[in-house]
Amino acid sequence: MANLNVDSAKQRTFDAIVIGSGMSGGWAAKEFTEKGLNTLMLERGRDVKHNIDYPTTNMYPWEFKHRGEVPYDVQQANPIISKCYAFKEDAMHFFVKDNEHPYVQDKPFDWIRGYQVGGKSLMWARQTQRWSDYDFEGPARDDFAVDWPIRYKDLAPWYSYVEKFAGISGNKDGLDSLPDGEFLPAFPLNSVENHFSKVLGSNYQDRHVISARCAHLSVPQPIHIQQGRVMCQKRVLCQRGCPFGGYFSANSTTIPWALKTGKLTLRPHSVVQEVIFDDKKSKATGVRIMDTETKQVIEYYAKVIFVNAAAVNTNLVLLNSKSQRFPNGLGNDSGVLGKYFAFHNYSARISAEYDGIMDLTTDGRNPAGGGYIPRFRNLKKQETGFLRGYAAGFSASRWQNTDQSGVGKGLKENLANPTLSNWKVGSHMMAETIPKETNTLTLDKSQKDAWGVPLLKFNIDYDDNDTKMKQDYFEQMTEMFTKAGFKNIQTYDSKQAPGLDIHEMGGARMGNDPKTSILNKWNQMHACNNVFVTDGACMTSTSTQNPSLTYMALTARAVDYAVGEMKKGNIA
Amino acid sequence: MNRRTVIKNLALVIGGAALLPSCLHDPGKASIALKKINVSADQERFVADVAETIIPKTDTPGAKDLSLHLFVLKMVDDCFSKKDQDAFIAGLDKLSKEAENRYNKPFGQCSQAQRESLLNELDHKQAEFQKAQKGQSKNAKKELPADDMLAFYGITKGETIFGYTYSKYFMTKQIVYELVPSRYNPNFPVKNLKVAIKNG
Repeated sequence: MANLNVDSAKQRTFDAIVIGSGMSGGWAAKEFTEKGLNTLMLERGRDVKHNIDYPTTNMYPWEFKHRGEVPYDVQQANPIISKCYAFKEDAMHFFVKDNEHPYVQDKPFDWIRGYQVGGKSLMWARQTQRWSDYDFEGPARDDFAVDWPIRYKDLAPWYSYVEKFAGISGNKDGLDSLPDGEFLPAFPLNSVENHFSKVLGSNYQDRHVISARCAHLSVPQPIHIQQGRVMCQKRVLCQRGCPFGGYFSANSTTIPWALKTGKLTLRPHSVVQEVIFDDKKSKATGVRIMDTETKQVIEYYAKVIFVNAAAVNTNLVLLNSKSQRFPNGLGNDSGVLGKYFAFHNYSARISAEYDGIMDLTTDGRNPAGGGYIPRFRNLKKQETGFLRGYAAGFSASRWQNTDQSGVGKGLKENLANPTLSNWKVGSHMMAETIPKETNTLTLDKSQKDAWGVPLLKFNIDYDDNDTKMKQDYFEQMTEMFTKAGFKNIQTYDSKQAPGLDIHEMGGARMGNDPKTSILNKWNQMHACNNVFVTDGACMTSTSTQNPSLTYMALTARAVDYAVGEMKKGNIA
Repeated sequence: MNRRTVIKNLALVIGGAALLPSCLHDPGKASIALKKINVSADQERFVADVAETIIPKTDTPGAKDLSLHLFVLKMVDDCFSKKDQDAFIAGLDKLSKEAENRYNKPFGQCSQAQRESLLNELDHKQAEFQKAQKGQSKNAKKELPADDMLAFYGITKGETIFGYTYSKYFMTKQIVYELVPSRYNPNFPVKNLKVAIKNG
């Protein structure tokens, strides 16, 4: 950029740069701008404005050309993204197609991405649970990964802070394994979900079914009205973007809030190639991007940089940020960058039927999706032949069955007169995986993408612990289902590759020791104090909770710390 | 088939008829634009007659009124593999000939009873085939039956029912689809259900 003058460089200089505009990036932008910092938010994809760029949000089923189905050619051309449960005709446009950003799979990994302003916060499943100390103390107690440099008490006030703003529905269940938060009223369990809850309560000491806690405005508070959001209307078409702002997304919540301050510059179509580390100044000075439309390479500068590109791409950016000081990637003195990558094991499900409570059904739709079973295995002490455990979803519903046999008038009448099935119940496993040095993300040595960045190589797999835990889930759920009087119990092993859980974590983990971790207890790089990572890449271990709420809390906490350090002159 | 496309096509046909009938509308071709499958006007008419036999006009609209045959063709064109499309077309012609052989007249000119009789035979075979498939492991890929006629019938029936139950008519007049329910009642008495859904 030598040909550009000083004024141009000044125009490209901000107080803070946030890489990524999704779940955690949106929070970073909100916090920085509220604290008065001129902030640049970079997003590799296009802009998606709340309520303007949701093309399908108010469409009726018959208005979709294929009534929701993904055309054959699209499926054939996109075998990976087609596996994602939300990749349907109504939300296809929010997912990255397979050939848009290729990667190398040394081992199969289904990398599900949303390249647009708002990222995956637009299409997420909206489940939000706090971690407890049983989670933060996991690695130290069970001797894997490294000790988390924080405990629940460090994050608790920040959980409260983000919950109040985002709007989280749930009950105060009083469980030490899943701390209560600042909840809006929960979406209640239905009769069979309640039945199962009671069966677990009377047969086990430590097993519970609670209303799933989720980022929906069951009863909006003044802060949510101020954001321009109103009560969730139970459409459960969230993946299209919500015209009511009924669920939390960066698009509906954090980004408009940040823009209102007048301090945010949002730059879509900006692929970050690397964070620039100045060997003379011994700090990061900015980022280098490629504009995906003009292919122009541009540098932006700031005092502090937050990397929130989503776990995998954050690893990619850091690995590709090479300097004399950091020849193996930014902040990577320890050599652990891109290692100890982990995820959640979502490959097991179980279903059954129930013939009780036949006088009741449900009416309308439940945005929370039903019940949640917090982790009970190895919770307070090691008690099985595998490490850690799993949480599980649980839901019950009755289906409308129609007799579709025959043709003619009779068939036509049958289609208009469905009968109500018995109760169908189902559960899915959400299991912790153990971060391992051998589960890695690395840069391909020869191949680059369209924006001059090396392709990422995935070398990530399950292990024996995952197999044992899945077996235990099947056994325990079968036992619990049997006790509840459920019949026709069927287990299902999807054998899916890692990634389809869309809970990628680690690679730039937090830890106390710079020799074995990348980030300190403030999500700040041990070796480069003006760079922070607060998305999934920072995770030392995965536990079983849906991770987004924790990213939000870590982000707000890290920005607060970073701004404090800037005021003290420690970051300049 | 999208409502807007129907209207557009309708406008095209009407406009074409008034202005340049021979250029804009080839009477030998299907009435909608198809990218992959090659369907003649006769074949389209046959699909319409089969769809109308499956969902006949009564005191409420039937398949032809709702253009379900065009939806079937659109879905076959866009949402099926080449192999399935070939089976569909081959089966279409076979079934068309089968009707002529049996009743000595085109399927469309047969009585509703004759048409139903022929399709019900296939319906029984289809049910047996599906039953056999159910026995297979859940992970087994769903294959079409080897008999093209059965493949054609299975696709046409499935897509006709899909198109019917997802039509604006059905979703506003029969079983009403709510875009914005605004409620979740977790404990709703079955006896209070408004639509005629009973315990099965």
